[in-house]
Amino acid sequence: MIGSHRKKQFMLASAALAVSGLALSALPAQALNVRQEVGVTATTIKLGITVPVTGIAAPGYNKVAPAMKAYFDYVNANGGVYGRKISLVVKDDGYIPTLAVAKTKELLLKDKVFAVVGALGTATHKAVSRSVNLGRQGIPDLFVNTGYSGFGVKKDYPTTFALLPSYIMEAKIMSSYIKENFSTKKIGIIVQDDDFGDDAIAGFGQAGLTFDSTIPYASGSQSAAKAAEWVTKLKKDGITNGDVVILFGVTTATAAALAVAGAYGFKPQWILGSVGGDATTIKAATAVPAAVLNGAIGASFLPAPTDTSDEYIKFFQGINTTYNHAVTFDNNVLVGMNSAMMIVQALRAAGQNPTRKGLITALETKGSTFASAGLAPLGYSAKSHVGYTGYWFGKYNLAGELKPVDNAYVVYTTDSGTGQVVKSTYKRPALPTNGLPSNS
Amino acid sequence: MSKLTSTKSRVFSLIAAASLVSMTLVSIPSAHAADAVCATVHYVETCNGATSDGAKYQSMVPANFNGTVFLYSHGYRYPVDIPASFPAAAGGGYKVANYMFAQVGPSAAVVGSLLAKGYGVVGSGFSVQGWNADKGLATDAELIPLFKAKYTKTTKVVAWGESLGGFITQALAEKYPTLVDAVAPMCMAAGSVEAELTMAGDALWGLKTFFDPSIVGHSYKAGLAGYAEAMGDIAKILTIASKIPAAVATDKWLDTSGAAGVALAAIPPRSALLLVGLMSGVPTQSAHFDSTTGPGPVDSADYSKFALAASPALATLENIAGAAILGVLATYDVELQAGGTVFDNSKTDYASRITNEAASFNLALSGNSAIKGMMGFLATASVAPRWTADAASVAKMRALVSHTGTINVPTIGLAATADATTPAGNLQWLADRAAEQLAASKVAAQAEYVKTGTFVSPKSKFLAIWNAPAASYTKFSGATPITSGPAANGTTHCNYTTAQYMAVAVLAAQAATTGAIPVGGGVKTIIRKAGGLAIDPNFRAPLLKFYNEQ
Repeated sequence: MIGSHRKKQFMLASAALAVSGLALSALPAQALNVRQEVGVTATTIKLGITVPVTGIAAPGYNKVAPAMKAYFDYVNANGGVYGRKISLVVKDDGYIPTLAVAKTKELLLKDKVFAVVGALGTATHKAVSRSVNLGRQGIPDLFVNTGYSGFGVKKDYPTTFALLPSYIMEAKIMSSYIKENFSTKKIGIIVQDDDFGDDAIAGFGQAGLTFDSTIPYASGSQSAAKAAEWVTKLKKDGITNGDVVILFGVTTATAAALAVAGAYGFKPQWILGSVGGDATTIKAATAVPAAVLNGAIGASFLPAPTDTSDEYIKFFQGINTTYNHAVTFDNNVLVGMNSAMMIVQALRAAGQNPTRKGLITALETKGSTFASAGLAPLGYSAKSHVGYTGYWFGKYNLAGELKPVDNAYVVYTTDSGTGQVVKSTYKRPALPTNGLPSNS
Repeated sequence: MSKLTSTKSRVFSLIAAASLVSMTLVSIPSAHAADAVCATVHYVETCNGATSDGAKYQSMVPANFNGTVFLYSHGYRYPVDIPASFPAAAGGGYKVANYMFAQVGPSAAVVGSLLAKGYGVVGSGFSVQGWNADKGLATDAELIPLFKAKYTKTTKVVAWGESLGGFITQALAEKYPTLVDAVAPMCMAAGSVEAELTMAGDALWGLKTFFDPSIVGHSYKAGLAGYAEAMGDIAKILTIASKIPAAVATDKWLDTSGAAGVALAAIPPRSALLLVGLMSGVPTQSAHFDSTTGPGPVDSADYSKFALAASPALATLENIAGAAILGVLATYDVELQAGGTVFDNSKTDYASRITNEAASFNLALSGNSAIKGMMGFLATASVAPRWTADAASVAKMRALVSHTGTINVPTIGLAATADATTPAGNLQWLADRAAEQLAASKVAAQAEYVKTGTFVSPKSKFLAIWNAPAASYTKFSGATPITSGPAANGTTHCNYTTAQYMAVAVLAAQAATTGAIPVGGGVKTIIRKAGGLAIDPNFRAPLLKFYNEQ
C-alpha cells in the first residue's frame, strides 16, 4: 500500500519534471540558471590532454595536441559548441607513465577539465587509469590514442573510448594480408615488449601467423646500436633480403631499424605497424634513405595525409594552413584534427547543457554515426567502447607517401576476439558542411 | 565566581565519573604510577613521571592551557642494540636503554607551536621497545586519566601518533573510545602487524633471492645466535645497497647474486631490484629520485632513459634499504614475541601482484619478456625456495593488538603517498573501513526513515589527508644525480613539515571540540596554507599487498 502510494507520487513528480524539462529545453543554455558540470561554463568547455610534448616519443606525437587545438580554434571562430568555446589544456607527460599520472591529476584538480581527450600511449594511459581511476570518478576519457585492446572494454574502463583499432585487430588484418601475399617468405618481427606489443602478438597468434625471428625490445630502449643488434639477430635467424620483417613499435624504433638496415644493405619487405608508420616522422627522426622506405608496406584507418582528393584531407589541410602554422601535414596532424572533429560531435550530442554522464551516454548511443575521416567503421555502442575497427594497406613511395596497394582504399575489418577478417562495405558519412558538425 | 567554581566542579565530577565508567566498562589498566616531578619554565609546566609499568612519560602544559591536550604516541624504536660499526643511518650505536625517554610530540618545533596555542601535550616512551602496540595501548590508556587528574581543566583529548604510534592511536580509539575526543594517526601502520611484516618479508626474500642468498631474513634462531643472524642480515643489506649503484650503471649483477646473476645475466639487475620493490609494495618515489626526471635537455634520449629506466630503480634502492633494515628488526622482534616464523610466501603469486605496475615501469623492468624471465626464476623452487610460516607462531602474532577499522571518534589521518616504511595504503585501508561504516550508516538511516519518517543524514567521522611529493624533484650535477640534501616532502617516512603537522593538529582539535570532522572553506584554507597536502576524495592509494590478497 505504502509502495503503491510512493510509486504514484514518484510518477507525478516525474511527469512534472518531464513537462518542465520540455519547457526548459526550448531556452538557450546560457539563459538557464542550472548547475553546470565541472569544466563547463556559460561560455566555455574546458578539455585536457596529456601527450609527449618532449622526450623520446615526442617527435611526431607532439603534433597531435596543436592539431586538435587548431580545429577547435576553427570551431570557436564559427560559434563554438552551442555558443561555448572549447579550450584545450595541454600537459606534457614526456611519455613517462608516472608523469602522465601527475599531469592528469593536475588537469582534474587544478584545471578542472570537463573531460580528458586524446591521451596518448598504452603504458602512460594504463598508469593513469590505475592511479587516477577516471572510470570510478565518471570522467569522460575520449578517443585514447593507443590501440591497446583493453581500453575498448567497457567493464574495465567504463568512461574510456578508444579511437585506434586495437593492435589485436591490426595484427589479425596484417596476418591475413601477409598470408595472402607473402605465404612463401620467412617472417621476422621487431615488437615493443609491453602491452602494446603483447596485444599484437596475441593478434598474430589468433590469426595463426608464426615467426622465424621474434625480437622484442623494451619501450624506450630503441637506438641505432639496438637496431644493429636487431638486424644481426634477424640475419642470424635466416631472414634474408626479400623476406618479411614486421616493425610493430613506435616511430623512433621504426626509424632506427630502417636507417641501420639501409646502412647494412639489408632489404627485407618491411611491413610497418600503424603506430610507427608515419613517414614524415620516420624521415625526420633519423637519416632514413628514401629508398629504404620506398616499397615498405603500411596500414592505416585514415586516408593518406597526402591524398588531396579526399574531402576530409583537403579540409583539414586548410585548417592546418590557417590555424596550425602550416606545419607539415602528416598522420599525426590528421589524427589530432580528426579526433577534434569527433569530440565536437560528442559534445553536441551531449546536448546544450553537457554533463559528464550525458557525454558518455551520447557516445554510446550516437558515436558510431559520427562523421570522421576514418575509412573503417566505429564500434561505439552501449556495450562497446571500441573505436575504429579496420585497416587498409598501402605502399610507401619514394616521396614517403602511403599509397593504397591497388590504388583504392580496400578496408578490412575484424574484432579483438575470434572474429574473421572481412572486407568492409562501410561508407563513411560525408564531411559536415564547412567541416562544422551540426549533429545533436 | 561561585558559578564558575560550581561549573568547574560539575565538569570535574563528570570527567571523574566518565573515567570511572570507562574503567568499569573497558578495564583500563589500573594505575600505580610514580609521582611526577614538575617544574615550570617560561610559563610551561613540565612534569616527568612513570606509569605503572615503568614507562617514562612527560607532560607540558602552558599557563594559558585551553583545555585540549594532545597525547602523542611515538613510532617504532629498535628493540635491540645496534653495533656501533654500522652507519648512523642504519642505527649504528643505537642502544635501547638510551631510547626509553618520553616523547610528547613529533618535534620540538611542533610541540612549541602547540604550547604557544595553549594546548597541553603528553606522551611516553613506552615500557618496552619494538612492536609494542599492546604495551603502548595500556600506557596511553593510563596516561589520559593521569593527565586529567592533574589538570582538571582538561576538556578534550586528542590522541595522535606516528608510524607504530599511529597504529597505537587508532587502537586506542577503537578500544577506549570514551578516553579520546578525536584522533590523528599519521604515517600509520594499520590493520595488523602482519600486513607490515608481509611487506618486509617480501622485500627481504626478494633481496635474498636476487642479490645475496646468504641473507637469512626469517626464522631467526633463539638467543644470541638469532641476534647475530639479524645483525648479519643488516650488514648484507648495507653491502647490497652500496653495490647497487654501480650495478645500475654497468648492468652487471652483484658478485653475491649467485644463481640469479647467472640465470638472469641478460637482464639488468636494476630491473630485478625494481621488481622486488614493486612486488613488496615499496614506492617508486624516494628522497631524491622522482621516477620522472633525467639529466640534460628534456628532449634528449639520456633524459628519457634515466627517467624511465634508472630513476625507478634508484628510488627503489633509496626506499628499500631502510625499509629492509627495519624489516629485519621487526621480523626478528615479532618472531621473538610469537615464538617462530610468521612470514609465509609459499603460495604468493608475485606475478599477479605486479600486473598493474608492469605497464607503468615497463622499460625499467626491461620489457615483458624480462619480467616473465624474472618471474620464472622466482617461481623456481631450487633457486628461489619459498618461506613457510609456523602456524602456532602466526596465531600468536594475530593475537597481538590489531585494528577492526571501526571509527568511533572523529579521525584525521595523514599519509605520504611515497612513504617507504608504512605506505599510504595503510591509511587507505582505514579509509575503506570508514567508507564502509558510512555506507552502512546511510542504509540504517534510510531504514529508520522508512520506519519513522525521520531522516538524519549520517556524517563521516573520517578525513584522509594526503601528502604527495612534487611530480619532479631529482637534481643533477651534470649527468650525476645528487643524493645529498633533504629528502623531498612526501617521501621517506613521517617526513612532514611543522606546518603540515600543525594543520593536522588544528583540524583534530576542532574535531575534538565539535565531535565532527571540520568541513568548509576553513578546512581548505588550513590545508592550502600548510602546503603539500591535499584532501581528495577521489584519490586512492594502493593497499598493502597483504590486503589485496585477503
